[in-house]
Amino acid sequence: MLAQSLADGILTGAIIALGAIGVSLGLQILRFANFAHAELVTWGGYLALVFVTFAGPGTPTGPFSFGWQLIAAMLLAAVLTGGLAWLVDRLVFSRLRRSGAQPLSMVFASFGAALVMRHVVVLIWGSGSYFYTSELQIALEVLPGVRMLPDQLFILGLTLLVVTGLHLYLTHSRTGMAMRAMAESPALARVCGIEVEAVVRWTWILSGALAAMAGVFMGLSPQIHPEMGLSLMLALFAAAILGGVGSLVGAVVGGLLVGLAENLSVLFVDPGYKTAMPFLLLLLVLAVRPQGLFGDKA
Amino acid sequence: MKHLLTLAAVLAAGALTAPNQTSAQAVSCPVKIGGILPMTGSMAPITKKIAEAAQLALDHINQGGGIKGCPVELVLRDDQGQPTVGVDAAKYLVEVERVPAITGTISSGVTGPIISSITGPSKIVQISCCSTASAFTLDGRSGGYFFRTLPTSKTQAFATASEIARRGLKKTAIIYVNTDFGVDMTRFIKEALPKLGGEFVVEVPYTDNQPSYRAEVTKALAAKPESLMLVGFPKDAVTIVREWLSLGGSPKIALNNSMRVMDFVNGVGPKFLNESFGMDNAQVAGATVDAFNKAFAEKYKYDSNGPGVHTQYDALMVLGLAMNIAKDLTGPSIKDAVRQVHAAGGAQVGTGPDEFKKAVALIKEGKPIKYFGATGPIEFDANGDVTGPALVWKIADGQIVTDRVISIEEMQALFKKVE
Repeated sequence: MLAQSLADGILTGAIIALGAIGVSLGLQILRFANFAHAELVTWGGYLALVFVTFAGPGTPTGPFSFGWQLIAAMLLAAVLTGGLAWLVDRLVFSRLRRSGAQPLSMVFASFGAALVMRHVVVLIWGSGSYFYTSELQIALEVLPGVRMLPDQLFILGLTLLVVTGLHLYLTHSRTGMAMRAMAESPALARVCGIEVEAVVRWTWILSGALAAMAGVFMGLSPQIHPEMGLSLMLALFAAAILGGVGSLVGAVVGGLLVGLAENLSVLFVDPGYKTAMPFLLLLLVLAVRPQGLFGDKA
Repeated sequence: MKHLLTLAAVLAAGALTAPNQTSAQAVSCPVKIGGILPMTGSMAPITKKIAEAAQLALDHINQGGGIKGCPVELVLRDDQGQPTVGVDAAKYLVEVERVPAITGTISSGVTGPIISSITGPSKIVQISCCSTASAFTLDGRSGGYFFRTLPTSKTQAFATASEIARRGLKKTAIIYVNTDFGVDMTRFIKEALPKLGGEFVVEVPYTDNQPSYRAEVTKALAAKPESLMLVGFPKDAVTIVREWLSLGGSPKIALNNSMRVMDFVNGVGPKFLNESFGMDNAQVAGATVDAFNKAFAEKYKYDSNGPGVHTQYDALMVLGLAMNIAKDLTGPSIKDAVRQVHAAGGAQVGTGPDEFKKAVALIKEGKPIKYFGATGPIEFDANGDVTGPALVWKIADGQIVTDRVISIEEMQALFKKVE
């Protein structure tokens, strides 16, 4: 039971981590809490669905419930969702930035954008649920007492790969360094000749792409519906703040901790209180380390 | 205060004069009955037909001789689906219109506050077509003045428990949605299951609208259950059932009525539900039901299918009959009379104006009646609730089909066995 809860927690945490990275980048580089981020998760799930509808989820390959088509759909959805995130920025946030809007105005604008994005999904696809595949996997006993689905192991592996890749990108590429510079100090970054708008654009595209992956992974286990992003939103913010704003490692660790807190809590308390557990953890961590686990001292 | 004083004066006068007069003379025409329904708001789409059923019942009562020789007027107020508005409406009906009885309303969230703050304390009879929360008739807030014409969640819970036992399912885990409905159902299933030969090993509540329920499913599976009872709503249930099966849970799954939709079946995949079954309230067949359906279709030019339509008709008809039986039109008398509407050994009366006329004639002769309504026999139990028949459904060839019907007699036997 304990081992199974640990495994479940890590799996839930991996999906949360992918979404939380975008939130964390947004908080640090764009400097406002973007509540529309969770809707990118939903859009990612639906955009992949469009491709899957045309190409099919593919014949199940090996132990997995899907074939190469779903991977292709995910990559396509990642690119398109990145584009969508940038489009929302052009339409809404960049205008506000130019007119020197306060962070609070940006937050409220993001609420508005979230509502519009969610309801466009309902408008196009309706309010019902969709599935990538009608197959149902039976979990394998990977360790004594620990059952996992092959799909979940795949999700975990891919998340690890993406996060490692992103970490290398942020630390070694010019764009990555520019992004980190922006996060440190926008004014200094501008003085150094960094093109602010380009960094902002990359931030949106990266956040969108990662959110889309989280959306596809969520859709795999097991359904896609218009509120899927919304149901994840609080967990994403808890993870980003818990890990420390602006830290990639922080967001990943934060995501895992949120997943673990939810899944382990049912061992001790009524599962009805499960969703409150990450916030209890958040309060505890913030009381000890106000900047979050991996955050720099402001 | 002025209202209260006047009310007290009227009651006192009534109490003094009643013994000396026949009841018909004590009544001033027309007789008013209060109605509260959400005519606007999120419930409005289903309320239209329900209000039409109420209007039809009112027509039938008036054509059948009214109440104690007087024509009847239904003073209908809108609750907008909001507790505050509903309580205001009830207050208006009781204090300004001085109605001795109210029919309403749909949402349990509105009905509850009306019972606690108005009809219970004022001793006004209230009959609802649609509120299922079992607490209303059990926690004492109504003082016995609240009745309803639809079965509570208890009926479904007992029926489900008996079917679990009948199919020989052992070691049942219960996963339920953490709302009044889910808690209610679980409580009754737990009460009934051991008495009927089943056993439950663990209960796990869940909060709706979450991305995953692995934690809940893992917790349930840790108790090594051999079957599952799932109480919830379709969208989350799809996730739960798929995770349950994926993690090695038994395919023997009992489901509640909300899952009787193809969205759920297709979501999980029909091939995984071959050993599952579910429960729902069954519609009774019978002459009085057909008569109502025919009368409704004639008046409104469309059929009477829909939630609350049949039960609302019965709610008002029961009031009409009870107020004829009651020795005077005060809450306590009407409350007692409601229980004589379906008296043992009474002459059977049904739906429609002619049947109502027949009932009024019998009542005048002092003979007992036995009302069979648009939902079949209306017999209130000690709490003021009715029992209805239930149906067991299952999935065959990708479709939801009725497996068998648990008749009202079987249902009553079941209640006796459990309680």
